[in-house]
Amino acid sequence: MPTSSMQKGKKRNESGLLLLVLACEVLLLAHSASAQIYLPQRAPEPSEYGKVILDNYTGAEPGSVVFDHWLHRSMFTCRVCHVDVGFAMQAKATGINAKTNREGFHCGACHDGKRVFEGKTIFAACSDAFNSNDRRCDRCHSLGKKGVRKYGYKEFTAKFPKGIYGVNWEEAEKSRIIKPVDFVEGLSVKTAKMQNRKDFSVEAAYPWVEPIDFSHEKHAIWNGCELCHPEIFPTAQKGTMRFSMFSNIEGKYCGACHGKVAFPLNNCQACHPRGPLWAP
Amino acid sequence: MNRKIFTALVLILVSCGLFCGLALSQTGIKKKRPLPYEYGRVVIDNYSEKANLAPVVFEHWIHRSMFTCRVCHVDIGFAMKANGTDIKAADNARGYYCGTCHNGKMVVDGKNVFQACSRKVNVEDEKRCERCHSYGQKVASDFDFFQFSQPLPKERFGNGLDWEKSEELGLIKPASFLPGVSTPKNSLVVQKDFALSPKVEGMPDIIFSHKKHTVWNGCELCHPDIFMGVKRGTVKYSMVDISQGKSCGACHTTVAFPLTDCQRCHSKPVQP
Amino acid sequence: MAFEAKFFKARFWAECPAKFETRLKRTIITVLLFLGLAGLCGVRAVGGPSASASQADAAQESWRTEFYNICGKTEDAMTFSQEELTDLIRRCDSLQPQIEKLDESRKKVYLERLRKCRGLYAYVLDAKRKEKK
Repeated sequence: MPTSSMQKGKKRNESGLLLLVLACEVLLLAHSASAQIYLPQRAPEPSEYGKVILDNYTGAEPGSVVFDHWLHRSMFTCRVCHVDVGFAMQAKATGINAKTNREGFHCGACHDGKRVFEGKTIFAACSDAFNSNDRRCDRCHSLGKKGVRKYGYKEFTAKFPKGIYGVNWEEAEKSRIIKPVDFVEGLSVKTAKMQNRKDFSVEAAYPWVEPIDFSHEKHAIWNGCELCHPEIFPTAQKGTMRFSMFSNIEGKYCGACHGKVAFPLNNCQACHPRGPLWAP
Repeated sequence: MNRKIFTALVLILVSCGLFCGLALSQTGIKKKRPLPYEYGRVVIDNYSEKANLAPVVFEHWIHRSMFTCRVCHVDIGFAMKANGTDIKAADNARGYYCGTCHNGKMVVDGKNVFQACSRKVNVEDEKRCERCHSYGQKVASDFDFFQFSQPLPKERFGNGLDWEKSEELGLIKPASFLPGVSTPKNSLVVQKDFALSPKVEGMPDIIFSHKKHTVWNGCELCHPDIFMGVKRGTVKYSMVDISQGKSCGACHTTVAFPLTDCQRCHSKPVQP
Repeated sequence: MAFEAKFFKARFWAECPAKFETRLKRTIITVLLFLGLAGLCGVRAVGGPSASASQADAAQESWRTEFYNICGKTEDAMTFSQEELTDLIRRCDSLQPQIEKLDESRKKVYLERLRKCRGLYAYVLDAKRKEKK
């Protein structure tokens, strides 16, 4: 026979469950919102963006290497370095050392003292015996040193079209202001061309976020196929893979490039043209 | 009421698990491309460190130029994963596993193959031990990759060598029979080549050649361990699984040409 | 007393050579028989291959021969009938306990080789059965 106390208990349980469900919903909303909270409030300084400090041997002479992406990507596609030469896209993951450079791998694939690019001989990286008088070393091992690098960001990119976050590389390539080389003699191998997949839209995880318009064409110009497939994106098949903005911010998937070198994730409209609810 | 709360809790836990799973996934990052002489390197350490020896470094490129994959992985019995074989010094000393050839007596290319793991080890043997137990040590190899690879046709990835062509042209002659070890065989009736269609539109069909594979592997290396499906089309192979080392990925991630060489498999032009 | 002792002594030595001779003969014959038996039974201390060792060799050879006979046909697996494949699988299963009795190294190696070989025949048999359906 149901008593009033039992009925009260039942009501308490029901309201408890309702609270639980509400709490979960709030958590989910917060999760989708928090992805944006984790984005850097301001994108890094354009001259610093894409700078990689290579310090596998911290403290050892001749010092840490500073690699500027803006300099190299104006001359070569991403594919040449990250596929043909084989650099990893994470700090300390490639295992570059003077020996591999001297053998003609990694930086030494181009920086061998013999290869000619745009009429100039590319200086050799890492000779057999390190000589402290050799100023050539400082051109790369330049962390903390002033006046040793040949090219400055402002002068080099003066004529490049600019976007919100520095150089608009897509525009620069389209308008032929830069002509990044995709085939390096002795390094790249000519293969049968594979046709690009058509552009498609990717549905976001949450229904209130507009789908992302993804263009294979725009990416393949710089990356070919092998840079992304299958390591970064094992499959292009819709619906078989799911990843979140968190993964992107961590530096995975889209974040492998967009956040380090290509336009940063702060540039929401570039991928979400109709914008998520909260666009900074 | 308790059941409902329990169900709700389970649902929350599952969704948390999903998010965690996403974070732990192996994909999404671009790793370094192994250098040509590094590709196919296997580090074996079942018992080396326990015996105060450096782990063993095995280079595939040296061995696959002299023997087919089948000789080692079927006739001798090596597993296809590092540390999967459970090789002991005693096994080698008795003439099994590495000791099948590394016994101090076998002659390959006019040279005596050095003995691996003898029953009694002297101080003078240290150099011989280091030839294999070389992980992290500066040990000069008898074989120079650059010299070895110069006359061979080149390929984009992996070792940078087209092993398939090298074998076709007779530039390397990998032996597929070890006397006293391999079972005597008749010539293989080769299965036909066939096409596999990808699930993604726009990607060229994969032309799978049994002939190209059986030259190196015979039948037992792949069937049924790596490829269980008997009827074509019943088992779906996804690039996600392959990139994690399943099916084609058992070889084509670490030893044979890697998955970045898309056109090697996706070679049938798409009919417009 | 002295005379009797002397008599018995003389008598003993008179008979002794004959007894000694018989005893010697007996000893020699016994030793020879013993050696012969030992040789037949294959006592290792005496040296030379023993009969039981050759029996062990024969046993070793038989499992190895059987292994080579079964697993030497993997290249032709696709040409066999279902009955032939079933028979090969049955022979693999019979061979397995024999391999399990071997020393550690051989057991490890040959169990794996047998597993691969049996696996292939089972795979091909499965394929043929599904083909017929």
